[in-house]
Amino acid sequence: MDSLRTLWPYLRLHRRQYLIGLVAVVIANSLNLLPWYFIRLTIDGVTGQTDADPATAGITGAQVLLYALGIVAASATAGFFMLVMRRMIVIASRQTEYEVRRDIFSHLQTLDKPYYDRARTGDIMNRLTGDLGAVREMLGFGAWQIVNIVSGFATAFAVMFSLSWQLTLIVMALLPLIVGLLTYMARQINKRHTAVQEQNSLIAAKAQENFSGARVVKGYAIEDREIEDYRAMNLELLRRNIALIKVDGPLRSVMNLLLGLAFGVILLVGGRLILNGDGTFTVGMFTQFVGTLERLAFPMLMVGWITGITQRGLSSWRRLRELFEARPLVRDERGRVNPNIQTLRGDVEFDHVTLRYGERTVLEDVSLRVPAGTFLGVTGPTGSGKTVLGQLLTRSMDPTSGVVRVDGHDVRTIPLRTLRDHISVVPQEPFLFSDSIANNIGFGMGNRDLPEVPTGVSVVGAPPPPDIPPNPDMERVREAARLAGLAGDVEDFPQGYDTVLGERGVTLSGGQRQRTAIARAIVRDPAILVLDDSLSAVDTETERRILDGLREVARGRTVILIGHRISTLRHADQIVVLDGGRLVEQGTHDDLVAAGGHYAELERLQRLASDLDADDEPIRDAEVAADALEHQPIPQEAVK
Amino acid sequence: MTAGAPLPPEPSKAAFDAQLTRRIFRYLRPYLALVVGAVLLSLAFSGIQPLFGLIQRYAIDHALTPFVTGVTADREPLLRTLTVAALTYMGLKVLEFAVQYGSILTIGYLGQNVLRDIRADVFTKLQRLHLAYFDQNPVGRLITRVTSDVDAINQFLTGGLVSLIQSAFLIVAYAVIMLSVDWRLGLVSFSVLPMMYLASNYFRRHLREAFRNNRFQQAVVNSKLNENITGMTTVQLFGRERRMALDFDHANRALLTANENSVKWFSLFMPVMAVLGQVGIALVLYFAATRLLNQDAAGVAATTGVTVGTLVAFIGWTTNLFQPIQDLADVFNNLQAAMASSERIFEVLDTEEKIQDKPGAATLEPFEGRVTFDGVWFAYDQAVTASTPDTDDRWILRGIDLDIQPGESVALVGATGAGKTSVTALVSRFYDVQRGAVRVDGHDVRDLAQHDLRRHVGVVLQDVFLFAGTIESNLTLNNPAISHERVVEACQYVGVHDYIVSLPEGYQTEVRERGATLSTGQKQLLAFARALIQNPDILLVLDEATANVDTETELRIQQALLRVMKGRTSIIIAHRLSTIEHCDRIVVMRKGRIVEQGSHRALLEKGGYYARLHRLQYAQGNAAD
Repeated sequence: MDSLRTLWPYLRLHRRQYLIGLVAVVIANSLNLLPWYFIRLTIDGVTGQTDADPATAGITGAQVLLYALGIVAASATAGFFMLVMRRMIVIASRQTEYEVRRDIFSHLQTLDKPYYDRARTGDIMNRLTGDLGAVREMLGFGAWQIVNIVSGFATAFAVMFSLSWQLTLIVMALLPLIVGLLTYMARQINKRHTAVQEQNSLIAAKAQENFSGARVVKGYAIEDREIEDYRAMNLELLRRNIALIKVDGPLRSVMNLLLGLAFGVILLVGGRLILNGDGTFTVGMFTQFVGTLERLAFPMLMVGWITGITQRGLSSWRRLRELFEARPLVRDERGRVNPNIQTLRGDVEFDHVTLRYGERTVLEDVSLRVPAGTFLGVTGPTGSGKTVLGQLLTRSMDPTSGVVRVDGHDVRTIPLRTLRDHISVVPQEPFLFSDSIANNIGFGMGNRDLPEVPTGVSVVGAPPPPDIPPNPDMERVREAARLAGLAGDVEDFPQGYDTVLGERGVTLSGGQRQRTAIARAIVRDPAILVLDDSLSAVDTETERRILDGLREVARGRTVILIGHRISTLRHADQIVVLDGGRLVEQGTHDDLVAAGGHYAELERLQRLASDLDADDEPIRDAEVAADALEHQPIPQEAVK
Repeated sequence: MTAGAPLPPEPSKAAFDAQLTRRIFRYLRPYLALVVGAVLLSLAFSGIQPLFGLIQRYAIDHALTPFVTGVTADREPLLRTLTVAALTYMGLKVLEFAVQYGSILTIGYLGQNVLRDIRADVFTKLQRLHLAYFDQNPVGRLITRVTSDVDAINQFLTGGLVSLIQSAFLIVAYAVIMLSVDWRLGLVSFSVLPMMYLASNYFRRHLREAFRNNRFQQAVVNSKLNENITGMTTVQLFGRERRMALDFDHANRALLTANENSVKWFSLFMPVMAVLGQVGIALVLYFAATRLLNQDAAGVAATTGVTVGTLVAFIGWTTNLFQPIQDLADVFNNLQAAMASSERIFEVLDTEEKIQDKPGAATLEPFEGRVTFDGVWFAYDQAVTASTPDTDDRWILRGIDLDIQPGESVALVGATGAGKTSVTALVSRFYDVQRGAVRVDGHDVRDLAQHDLRRHVGVVLQDVFLFAGTIESNLTLNNPAISHERVVEACQYVGVHDYIVSLPEGYQTEVRERGATLSTGQKQLLAFARALIQNPDILLVLDEATANVDTETELRIQQALLRVMKGRTSIIIAHRLSTIEHCDRIVVMRKGRIVEQGSHRALLEKGGYYARLHRLQYAQGNAAD
């Protein structure tokens, strides 16, 4: 019931449609009983039951025509109301589905990184597809069927009772038996259907495993064992399917049998009533009674299903509610945010910042100031907390204690929109969208003045969503691509900047992805640029070129560069070394080399490596080392 | 980024392909008895169905109307007739149920067996196909073949053929009985059938199109959702929420419109069919009743003309006739959908097995483990043949000569794409070479039985591929001949035993999500244990230097590797310096050629490519400390 209460805001939007639709069901149900009434009148007429003399017919040909037309008219009107019902209820359920999907999407956009770190994409997707579908089925088909069952039974019983209370009592006695049996079968079908589905996914999983592990299967020559395995699962699927067919197949024939037996009993008893000779029960009434009873076949079948549909719908709605109820920790807090902060210059300060994830300490009491327009280098081993600096700055998460400030404002007082508009981050493994390269580079441009998609409102009568203005300013996109060292690559693509990336388009190499992300970051003209190990997949030569380009861009901006290569770090105004979440070294390149700590050791190793005219970075892997040697000539005498 | 992307074209309508149908029929042959049984049962069912109308007619005309119309007042014989009719009706209902249930079970059993056979055939065929086939076909597509495509064939058999037969029988049975009872009324009630068939066909065509559009728009919405959820942080950092929300709203609206469209068609379809049915009934009622009235007036005997019973029976028959007519309208659509699927399935079954055993392929007994590459040129591209010029870019291996003695360990070293992996793949004969030959114990691998060859060649991948099952079944690869003692011994030998027994169910612990819970190091050790247990004579190892392994595990892996290599011919794609140094011979590859080979010491002294490589790695050795 609590679930229904929370559904109400959505139902309310379409209450008129649901109401009209449900009334239409009742009307259609009543009208559908009329043809049998006309048939009864005709039969009783021709058998002379409608006048005093049974030997002569009680009706005229014109009356017969009228009744025949009455049948057509009644069913046409009933058909019209059924059409109205579908266009009201079923469409309303589709619209509710749209609205819930729209609102959840908007809500998902407000959730923060910690939420997405925990949630699994597949799970959210399942809720938005399977669960949403179950809710829709409950609202559309379910609501209609409940009313259909209730009104169907009510009208049919009223008619039957008016025809013969004796026969109606017989039906009433048989009814619990019929409905009980059908409900039992429905439950069995549900259960066995689930068993079949489970086996189906097992088989699919087996096939998936076998096909993706083809190298191992063939390598160890275990094909025959795999086939044996598969055969056994296949046989089990056959068994379960046949078990399902045993209850699912005869559902209709059981219905048919029960109604047939009921007909036999009604014929026996009703025949006797007719033969009583008192004229209270006629052949026409008998025919109408049986015809009316047959109309109950479908509602009786549905009784068994409706509980399943409702239960599934309600538990699915609970799962959808969990999505709605997820709250972001990072958001614009009313009373705290100062909406007047509109521009930022880029003066960054970490003031005794500590960040803990559960038990784990990621940053411990880090204090650091980066004046606007300066260049900060950050280095340290994996897991030392480097990446988190950028994430705290953009408020992907908030610190456990301490304050992060930009231009002297606690970042929590700066509107999120303003903050993020002024900071661009290039992550180590950038996420690109399956869209054109131009749109991927212009990702953060021209998004400000777009209208919001309204939530919590009915889609009925709502204007169509506005056309989305094409976002990228191509001049700036090209310039950013040039600075990021990507322009040459793009020109080689078949459709240039319109080339679509991802599944439907081209696949970029790791280095191309990083450079696209750099272009995406600098095209926004940010006050603060964070480069998080974002050149790891490009070679030294390209990196140098990109950094030269960036130097042009960096003028007047705050740059935070996280990385390992001394050749890039050395130009920083200030370098910090993190280790285990603590800031262990801080100073200029010369300071730190002189200090003889971690940084100095890194510098010594890389100098050694570059003496070997190889890459700056230490190489752990023979293949990578060989790759590095690829572009160098091999002494002729060494070649066989 | 607009949502209204055009609908993909509908698959070609191969309509009704006789050859394909014959092939599907071939799957029915083993179950001929069931097929005959199913046909007989549906024939019986069709024969029984119209009888109920006859009994109703009999009961009304012989037990009820004579009394009502005052023909007779003697109730006793009438009551007896009534009882007989009612009991016959109920008895016949029970018989009908038995026949129908029998027919459903027979058809279900038949269909499921055929499905199982097709599924097994496809799976077995895929086991026989060459590895390159799996490189070319995405796993998702192959899975579709053994799942939904097979289901479509089931639709063909049960939804298509069976309902075609059943509907045809029923229509014939009803037509015969209606025409023989009263041919004029029969024709009257048939008059709406053509309309009904055409209307049903018309609506179903539009509905199918509408549903197809639904599925397409749903797929668009789903892929946008998926991308947005995965990339949400990026969207937020770049302030693109509103644009994404608008873009999603376009797709969401398009889906709503598509859904509304199919509801609209459906909301027309059902009432139109219902009204057409009632028109049929009204026609029967009108013609029967007016004739009854005229008969009365003309004094025609009730036994020869239309009776009230006939009227009631015809109303029932006419109603029952509508269902098979509507089913028939859908049969050809079902058949068409099944054709496309069966075409795809037979395509798999007809795929040429590129790597096959020659007739009388030899098995090697005893097996020594000598591996020889004799002027091997190889390309993955099937279009490359022996006559393709040497300069072609597609060559992966360009004249490899290599002779590896039984028990010798060889490390392959080189850059990405140098051809190291191809060398190991050729020893297992995953691919055939274009020029030259790969020999094992002096026999061209193409002359050996594949299975036998691969039983002697063990592959250790850097990321051990774990199957669903227990740890033990993953080590024995379900070979019942391998004893538990041998498994334990091997695990102790490579040093993973202690870890396994620390798990709640030891060797019987279920592997979850392909070993997601195991660490990289543990997985590597399991891979070595598996190789040891399978006891191959030739060992191919892909040994990746793993970044996420602590020094102790690194050492353990190193030791385990050396132990596994001992006493077998081993070819290792080596990444770790220490592994390379311990091998008997180092082969340096570059762009498909061997540029240097010799022992570690010899190559260092030579001062070539390997020496430079070693110096690079040596610098790293210090950095790790």
